Amino acid sequence: MLEALWHNIDYVASVVLFCIGLYILIAKNNLIKKFLGLNIMETAVFAFIVTIGVIEGGDAPIMGHGAQAPFHSPIPHALVLTGIVVAVSTTALALSLIIRIYRQCGTIEADELREME
Amino acid sequence: MKNAAVASLLVIFAIPLLIAVAELPPFGDPDAPIHTHISARYIEQGVEEAGAENLVTGVLLNYRGFDTFGEVTVIFTALAAALAVLLTSGGVQYFQEDRPPAPPKGADESERPPTPVSPVVLFVVRLLAPFIGIFAAFVILHGHVTPGGGFQGGAILGAMFIVLTIVLGAGKVRPRLPEPLARWLQGAAPLSFVLIGALGVAFTGFYLGFPPEHSLHLVRELMMVVLEIGIGVGGAAIFARIFLAMEAD
Repeated sequence: MLEALWHNIDYVASVVLFCIGLYILIAKNNLIKKFLGLNIMETAVFAFIVTIGVIEGGDAPIMGHGAQAPFHSPIPHALVLTGIVVAVSTTALALSLIIRIYRQCGTIEADELREME
Repeated sequence: MKNAAVASLLVIFAIPLLIAVAELPPFGDPDAPIHTHISARYIEQGVEEAGAENLVTGVLLNYRGFDTFGEVTVIFTALAAALAVLLTSGGVQYFQEDRPPAPPKGADESERPPTPVSPVVLFVVRLLAPFIGIFAAFVILHGHVTPGGGFQGGAILGAMFIVLTIVLGAGKVRPRLPEPLARWLQGAAPLSFVLIGALGVAFTGFYLGFPPEHSLHLVRELMMVVLEIGIGVGGAAIFARIFLAMEAD
């Protein structure tokens, strides 16, 4: 098991990054920090998906002259591009909601907001 | 106490993930399932079928054009939702004691002095902005041959706009883009998809279908470039508008 983990150390890095994001999401009190944690989790997932597409000794999947097989898989790249755009959209919406919360309540600390109810 | 609970939760969460990771095919293995199915076919025939030397663009615009259509709609919806949240006043304002009085309507952005910036920053940003713009145009227009594409170029273009807004102030940047034009630009991405999709119906009978014949490869390339421009300009306009709405606070 440990040896398999060592071979897949690149995937383990994404797991670690994911857990860091999850920790921030749970432990921090500030809404913006919480959302940054969620963004780190998203980044970990994107890194993981892109890493799956890597092939040993491969080249970027761009044809044209001078291109030499093997190529990295183009599908994860396209999917992650989609994912990044959706992540940006959710970030924009969440930040607007946080601005709105600050305007109405004067704080973005989760515990103070809970007391306010 | 709380930290211990969070740490144990993280460990409980990490263990299944690590077990799953250990079961995956080794990193970079050419025989991994991802390299042996669709991916192999895309790499073999993608250039002729999709008409883009950059296979990522080919997958994005041709094989999975509907996906990308949905994606640009998502950004557009995010813009609509962010503006709805930021620009409507709605509800009771619980928090008013510490806020400075709101500026009178009509005399807002253009009269507000921009945040003071160092002359070095001002000079460098003004010097670099046209180059950033040219680079963004290159990345958008050349996206089907080299690394890049509409989304990447759009992000660069939006970043240029945001940097200029931060340094020069919204009052100077906003008049450059008159509101009626800006509205059309914000919708550019979905609109270009509708346009090219209709063109695809005319050529192949399928929505967003690209003509596969070799004699029409220029038409196909042109359709892709129009899509890329639509995505790039539309994305940049949407990022800029969201930033302006947030910056107004």
